[in-house]
Amino acid sequence: MSNTAATLTQDRQRLEMAALSAPAVIFTVAMIAFPVVYTIWLGFQTFSSTGKQSFAGLANYSKLISDYEFWHGLWITIALFVLSLALQLVFGVWLALVLFHAKRLPGIVRSLFISPFMMPPVVAGMMWLVILDPSLGAANYILQSFGLPPSDWLASPSWVIPTVALIDSWQWTPYVALIVLGGLQSLPPSVYEAAQIDGASPFKTFQRITLPLLLPTIVTAAILRSVDLLRFFDIIYITTQGGPGNASNTLNIYGFRVGFEFFNIGYASALMLTLTAIVFGAVLAFNRLRGAVAW
Amino acid sequence: MKARMLATHVALPVLAVAAVSAQAHAADFDWMRFKGKTVTFLANNNPVSQALLTYKADFEKLTGMTLKVDGYQEQQMRQRLVTVMNANSDEVDVFMTLPSREGEQFAAAGWYGDLTAMAKNEVAKDYDPAGLSQALLKAATFGGKLTSMPMNIEGPIFYYRTDIFKKCGLEAPKTIKDVEAAAEKIKACDSAVTPFVSRGLKPAVAYTFSNMLHNVGGSYIENGKSNLCSAKGKEALDSYSRLLRDFGPPGVVNYSFQQISALYRSGRAAMAFESSNELRTVMEGGARLKDTGLLPFPAGEAGQVPTTIGWGMAVSSHSKQPDAAWYFVQWATSPEVQKKMALQGIAPPRPSVAKDPEYRKWIDEEPVRKEWQAALDVLATKGSSEVGYPIIPNPESREFIGQAVQDLILKQKPIDQACADADKALDALIAQK
Repeated sequence: MSNTAATLTQDRQRLEMAALSAPAVIFTVAMIAFPVVYTIWLGFQTFSSTGKQSFAGLANYSKLISDYEFWHGLWITIALFVLSLALQLVFGVWLALVLFHAKRLPGIVRSLFISPFMMPPVVAGMMWLVILDPSLGAANYILQSFGLPPSDWLASPSWVIPTVALIDSWQWTPYVALIVLGGLQSLPPSVYEAAQIDGASPFKTFQRITLPLLLPTIVTAAILRSVDLLRFFDIIYITTQGGPGNASNTLNIYGFRVGFEFFNIGYASALMLTLTAIVFGAVLAFNRLRGAVAW
Repeated sequence: MKARMLATHVALPVLAVAAVSAQAHAADFDWMRFKGKTVTFLANNNPVSQALLTYKADFEKLTGMTLKVDGYQEQQMRQRLVTVMNANSDEVDVFMTLPSREGEQFAAAGWYGDLTAMAKNEVAKDYDPAGLSQALLKAATFGGKLTSMPMNIEGPIFYYRTDIFKKCGLEAPKTIKDVEAAAEKIKACDSAVTPFVSRGLKPAVAYTFSNMLHNVGGSYIENGKSNLCSAKGKEALDSYSRLLRDFGPPGVVNYSFQQISALYRSGRAAMAFESSNELRTVMEGGARLKDTGLLPFPAGEAGQVPTTIGWGMAVSSHSKQPDAAWYFVQWATSPEVQKKMALQGIAPPRPSVAKDPEYRKWIDEEPVRKEWQAALDVLATKGSSEVGYPIIPNPESREFIGQAVQDLILKQKPIDQACADADKALDALIAQK
């Protein structure tokens, strides 16, 4: 077969493959693009309480600037994000180190350690709602049996965010630990042997070798958790619905209520697109950080 | 507006016309007319729909139609409905609705099919549309159009522990002041129980608070302006929040019907102000069966103006088969089905069912059921369906009522500021066109 004929055959094969995969590709792109484009379009519309729709230009976005609930929701979202992420990274690394070094730990115990994140968030929310009920819950019963004062937990405006952060950390710390454990298992043993020969203490070894080498993995875990934490919804919806007052009214909860309870889909779309931009910004920042700490 | 007045002026004439026309059409009525069709029902997965759907097979056998049920929890059901209706989709034929909450809004959006004509043109002989609660029919009539048929009658009622009252030397409360005095006395007499519990969760507060406001003689709107800062408004806000703050359980700001029922059923609350629908849940296990008394909420300066609402069944305005959908609505709200539901503890919106010997026998089996029915009778005759502001964005208005109550429970604002902040936000809502 001549070169020209072979090239033609290859081109034809490529065309056939492209034609065969095109429906799936077009479908996938459409499935991603359509909701985004539709939401952007909705963000330029205004809806009355009766669902009547009209073009609003940038009015929804200018309303954001003067909307106290938006800024409050943003603050709550950031507070929850920072607190939860810090807890999950610190305890996730700690749990990963425990699992890495406790090699004789039975499989069932390891499975138990990592089981919370396999639980649906709605179930986790319901379970913690019962445990933390100030009157009937086990948490206050335990505190009081140790002579400690009871807490209002999710019913206290000052404690609701730390409490929600604790629930989320209970659920997702094992996930972070699993990622970090993978990173630990891939670290080169030679650097540890060198440290041992040089007489480095376990703490120095962790501080100077393990932690710097693990940083790219930790940042990857941080990226994955950041996306979820900035969109935090399910546990708050189940446990407090944004309350008490507005103390746990994150941007996502606020957007949901504006859209589906007050039927202002246009403003809700503007809120959610703003939140999406914040999530993108956070992911980009963490990606840059990952580039900086890569080895 | 009072139920009786509503019934006289609007609903009765509508139903009278329907009833006369019904007689003319009843002879031609054929349940099998839409045999082979499928009707989709968007249901709130609550005790009302659960009781109804026990008889799903009966409907399918009677009509030859298939009933496709799309069931969700209340909020998710509304979420699904908003999506479907905004898309002008015919996916849903019949949906459950709370006229007191979303009636104005859905009617203004044109989401309800007009049942007035259907009730005239296609009625079975034994349907008896005039036998349905006139107050609830009025509450479901917007702009002269009947938008849904009542499935049940409900409202908040006062549950109290007769044994604790006896132990503390108390009589059943007759007034709001008696409730406050009883709470004070129980707090001193039995420190192991929560003296009083009701709704503190922000979006849920309006349901019970409205009863308090109306009993003291307050109103939500006066001269087109929000009226929470009026003397009566502040009195209601103060009494309701003080009862929950000083005598309620810790964490009451997150309490809705689930927590209230659980607390009362477990024997850890002496008084609970919660929905009549919760009777079955509260009595589960039987622990509260013999030590509970039930009353409409005690009177204020304006007497007893209980909150009375009911779930309704509406036909979607986008349904391509509204007549077939109406057959399902008619079957579900017929005397026969409502009697069966009543025997499962769903309070019937038909006085005739409430007087039915079989139902009376069920009621007479337990004293607590008798008191429950007596309280419901008061709800049916004296009730107001005004829960939150009677404006199109009613659901949003409930947020601000709840916020004011929570601000007071949590001592975050003095009463003048809490009501003024709420009035400011509510005035903006009222002004919305």
